[in-house]
Amino acid sequence: MGVDRYSGLPFVARFRWNVGKTMEKFYRSFAEKKILAARCEKCGYTVVPPRQICPKCYSTISEENLVELSGKGVVESLTEVAFKLDGKGGYIWLEKPELLAAIRLEGASSTIFARVEGEAKVGSEVEPVWAEKIEGKPSDLISFKVVE
Amino acid sequence: MRRVAIIGCGQSKHGRRTDVNQAELVAEAVWAAIEDANIGPEDIEAYAVGNMQGFGGICQPDLVFADYIAAGGKAMQRVATGGTVGGSTAHLGYYEVASGMYDVVLAVSWEKHTDSAEPGATTGLLHVAFANLSYMMKIGMDMRSFAIMGLAGAAAGISAYQAAFYMARSGCRIEHFDMVAAKARRNAAKNKYAHLKWPNCTPEDIAKTEMLIWPMRFGHVCPASDGASCVIYANEDAVRRLGVKEVAWVKGVAAYADEEADQGESYQGTAVVDYSDQTGAILSAKKAYERAGIKDPRKEIDMAEIYAPFPHQELMFSERLGFFDDGTAWKAVEEGVTEIDGDFPICPSGGVNTTNAIGSSGMQRVVEAALQIMGKAEDHQVPKDVRNAVAHAWGGQVQFNTVMVLGDRPKGW
Amino acid sequence: MKRVAIIGYAVSRLEWDAEKTREEAVFEVAREAMRSAGIEREDLGTAISASTDFLDGRTISNCMLIGASGAYLKDESKAEEDGMYAALYAAQRIMSGVHDVALAVSHTHSWIFNPHQVTQYMLEPWFDRQNELLNEITLAALQARLYMSRSGADEEHLAEVCVKNLRNAAKNPAAFRKMADVTVEEVLESRLYSSPLTELMIAPPCDGAAAVILASEEAAKEFCDDPVWIRGIGNACDRYLRDRDLGRLDSLRIAAERAYRMAGIEEPFRQIDVAEVTERFAHQEFMAYEALGFCREGMGKVLIEEGMTEVYGEIPVNPSGGALSGDPVCATGMIRLIEAVRQIRGETENQVEECRTALAHAQWGLCAQKNLVFILGDRL
Repeated sequence: MGVDRYSGLPFVARFRWNVGKTMEKFYRSFAEKKILAARCEKCGYTVVPPRQICPKCYSTISEENLVELSGKGVVESLTEVAFKLDGKGGYIWLEKPELLAAIRLEGASSTIFARVEGEAKVGSEVEPVWAEKIEGKPSDLISFKVVE
Repeated sequence: MRRVAIIGCGQSKHGRRTDVNQAELVAEAVWAAIEDANIGPEDIEAYAVGNMQGFGGICQPDLVFADYIAAGGKAMQRVATGGTVGGSTAHLGYYEVASGMYDVVLAVSWEKHTDSAEPGATTGLLHVAFANLSYMMKIGMDMRSFAIMGLAGAAAGISAYQAAFYMARSGCRIEHFDMVAAKARRNAAKNKYAHLKWPNCTPEDIAKTEMLIWPMRFGHVCPASDGASCVIYANEDAVRRLGVKEVAWVKGVAAYADEEADQGESYQGTAVVDYSDQTGAILSAKKAYERAGIKDPRKEIDMAEIYAPFPHQELMFSERLGFFDDGTAWKAVEEGVTEIDGDFPICPSGGVNTTNAIGSSGMQRVVEAALQIMGKAEDHQVPKDVRNAVAHAWGGQVQFNTVMVLGDRPKGW
Repeated sequence: MKRVAIIGYAVSRLEWDAEKTREEAVFEVAREAMRSAGIEREDLGTAISASTDFLDGRTISNCMLIGASGAYLKDESKAEEDGMYAALYAAQRIMSGVHDVALAVSHTHSWIFNPHQVTQYMLEPWFDRQNELLNEITLAALQARLYMSRSGADEEHLAEVCVKNLRNAAKNPAAFRKMADVTVEEVLESRLYSSPLTELMIAPPCDGAAAVILASEEAAKEFCDDPVWIRGIGNACDRYLRDRDLGRLDSLRIAAERAYRMAGIEEPFRQIDVAEVTERFAHQEFMAYEALGFCREGMGKVLIEEGMTEVYGEIPVNPSGGALSGDPVCATGMIRLIEAVRQIRGETENQVEECRTALAHAQWGLCAQKNLVFILGDRL
């Protein structure tokens, strides 16, 4: 059923986003297996990934207020994901579900979302899993795993 | 009816802004406006936001950076109308205050072209053509016009037609486009936020540039810029309460939507045969002047910021907005009437022809008109006394128009 | 502030693979809404459409809709979010005194492009879009877990919301997913997307369009015998995912408080006769109960256990079936608004008795980042 339709030329646009100077530092510090955050001098809110404007009180966070986190964190919420999207609107059903978690890193006020390996539960302590070859890029941080 | 004023303006520096991400770019304009108005973020009750999300590759970007612009817990509304979007966002902000729902509203719009991996603005523009293809095949739309769109970008392709129509209609020549483009580059050199600056640029300089698609030369075409522009509106009571000294009053707004240009030509439309006709612009201007209490726009309006990515549009719209008779604007340009120090300055900021961050462009016209009224335009402040100014934007497939009349005092004073 | 009424509306049948173009869908509802309001196109001062470029797969998604919506040579604009925001903008234009009669129209054809894929493009691109597991559904699953651990609600409670709404939908001829005999077990056993969310707990994307006509007090009295009045409006936006309390709908709470203040509502549970909320995921209906002040924090599950939000209950929620019965993305919230209007006029197939004050809610963004609440009444 349905009227005829044509897919036509694809609605595809490639993007290369400028991440800004603060995020650039964040990624480059991956090369030393470091996770940076920005701590607001005024209200103490610690935001990760770091940025220049405090998301809580909106004051400017200067570069001196970048802090290094331990990298360890606690799982706040967890879901078993059974699918991925293929980028074109289709579903890829996974043979084995993957775990996705909301993680509060030690010393941070904001939450990050990441894949988790191991028998994670809400409340589990996790630590980062780094790629074998690290180059100071987003791909360096593969996932988090439960601390044994 | 509630009286509404612009109490603060902010712009980011425009150009290739690879030093910031989209959120930081917008925050730059927003915080500049908050500082300019000398208020705190807590004074702002609601936001009006707009950009064309395909250009920067973020869907609903305002939600991503609500917390960069102090919008957490505040009301936020979003519009998107193509090139008009800056003008439409300015209108949205105005209506948010005029409705009586909010007293202080911040309106911001922006574009970040350099995040696109393809060359500049065409990414977004070509989407119009690409996405329309299946529709065209089905309806049997003219493939010839599609080919031209593909060549120069959708709106740019239609604009080339439009320029040809305008030349036939008015008797103006390509040399007049050179004059307008040279004026824009000279003016931009005086504007610290502008992108393409060329001090002492002459029409001869522009005439030396390559012909891209007749009658448009390379020197006629706007750049693809990154940038954000922002205004803060307040009602009369809030202006007093916040102790704001320099304001520009919104005296009248109007917008009229015409049909998509190709609908007229190719299928069952109301037949917009001449793209330089611009009925929507004529109606928008008339209605805005009526609402502003302006009877004779030529006498009562002192300057205009016209949305003109291509030089013929500055000439064409200055006629449609009622500043010159149909087909005569090029004569005024020959006489230097539209220069910064002329009798009727148009785009003293350099305009969209020198700085085009799509979303930002329409809002920037409002910002620049307001700055001229407040006397804060610095190096490109026009020498004549500005009491009423017009900010205009067009968008879509040369089909949408927004007009805002600003004044140094509210309507009826 | 000028008063605004809703004097006409139209909703298309929600379906998959609609045999019409977007232009035809918009034309049909715009024309029907004008007819139901008893107005001509010439009476319209302004038209606001709602659609998004990403969902439509084309930029300037409103540029082909000018003829279809009747906005030709009218003051047109496009709200790039839910249709209820278009209605809000239209109402503001009337409140300002600049316009008298306005059209708000919204549509999404989900078959053009999977709306769940679009939600991936709503992620902040510098960090979150590096993670291929993140999208609207998986994030909602994380939100559901946060809510469940806070409130003690379990998967069965979530399923009970689906049972209520899908059964209600069976009475609604326009609904897309209707299941008169669905059980809690069936909901729990439907395909798992991201635990705890199963297929029936996720609003099904579909094709649809909706339109409303709004009018000033003077115009409403001229054209309409039974206008429905907008008594309160509240609108609020939250911070981005990482920096908000994901387990709560703070922006909905703020929006509701504003709408109640404007409408003079002090005890929502007693004063509101029916609520139509946008629950894109089952748990969001519980979160809405709490944010709207229908119950105390964490007590949402009690309302379902006691049947209080059934159509015969003390505070019926989503007698139309809600978003779980069909989600034509940009039209979903506007349909809630229209269902609330129809309840007040006594026109629905699943009618709440003596309905005089109704609440309509729209959400937008990942995990309902933005929320909009209208309070409607049969009198000013």
